[in-house]
Amino acid sequence: MNRLFALRNNHTVSFAGQALVILWALSLCCSVGAFAQRTAPTVNVNAPISIRATHLVGFENAKSNCNGTLSILDDALQFQQKGKPGAQVSTASIRDLFLGEESKQVGGLPMKLGKAAAPYGTGRVVSLFAHKKYDTLTLEYVDSHGGVHGAIFQLPKGQGEVLKDELLARGVSPNSGQYQPTRQNTAEVTREND
Amino acid sequence: MKTTERKSWFIWVAAIVTIAVPGQVLGQAAVESSRGRSGFAPQWTVQVEKVDSGHLDLAHSFQLAIYENLVQELNQTKQFTQVLREGDRKANEVPSLLILKTTVVKYTPGSETRRAVTTVSGATKLTVRTQLLTREGEIVVDRTVNGNVRFFGSNLGATHNLAGNIAKAVKKSNVAMFRASYHDIQPPAANAGATQ
Repeated sequence: MNRLFALRNNHTVSFAGQALVILWALSLCCSVGAFAQRTAPTVNVNAPISIRATHLVGFENAKSNCNGTLSILDDALQFQQKGKPGAQVSTASIRDLFLGEESKQVGGLPMKLGKAAAPYGTGRVVSLFAHKKYDTLTLEYVDSHGGVHGAIFQLPKGQGEVLKDELLARGVSPNSGQYQPTRQNTAEVTREND
Repeated sequence: MKTTERKSWFIWVAAIVTIAVPGQVLGQAAVESSRGRSGFAPQWTVQVEKVDSGHLDLAHSFQLAIYENLVQELNQTKQFTQVLREGDRKANEVPSLLILKTTVVKYTPGSETRRAVTTVSGATKLTVRTQLLTREGEIVVDRTVNGNVRFFGSNLGATHNLAGNIAKAVKKSNVAMFRASYHDIQPPAANAGATQ
């Protein structure tokens, strides 16, 4: 009888231990979940984002065809050339944005001269491989007088999508019915080509 | 002795007259020509409208690049007192306003790589119809203008070339002269319908 009681007691202890282990595991899972929930949204909407870009045309107070940094501050899109004050527009004034793709020859003038000087037209063969794809971000915004501006930026491949998403997250609303990212992309590829 | 002095005095006077009078005449002519130029001084304000791609599937980057380059090029022509953008509220206060409408007629997409490899193919070509209209809808200038990039440069270079050609066409049409004929209600038929 005593033995039976002891056995029973043993069972109670082991059951309590099991329950404790399960409880501990559950709490651990919950805390991990809570931690994951806390760490999951890494994209802070208000965090500034900066991307190296080339301003092609249209951004107010910025020179055409110059390199700089395109950043999204709290409520403004800023383009800053090295060592110069940045030009910026409010994100609220952006009416429309379009993403495209373009292929350009790399190397600039030295490369062009080199290709021209290469014997037996071998420079042309180099041209076949010396091109790089870029993203183009086209913005349409209005100034304080209501005048429409169009700005075009050239970004490294893949960065255009990042910037576009950031702008959309900050409340830039694409124009009614005109914003068709997928179609626009393909259209730009076919038009601005290869 | 006296006659020699008198002779030399006459020679001096003659020399001064010879030098001074034509100079004065030329100066007067220059002043008059500058007055004449100021007579054709820019009195119109132009408002540039966004580019209409018509039925063509022209990329937005091209449309906006043409528009931006047009604003720049028209500013450089100095034919207008102001160059306003579409939607600019200042246009409502301007007495003599012309509206520039641009419609894309033809677009041939090119390739920078193809241009670099073959030289002869891969040109990006644009043809637009450009119209300068008064507020009342009267056509001042109606031209078809081409722009392209054939050898070097990116595809968007065609928009810069096109905007330059449009500005040249507007300058050639002598818009300032139209002001007088506009007030005398004379139709500006001479400028309409040409091709650049």
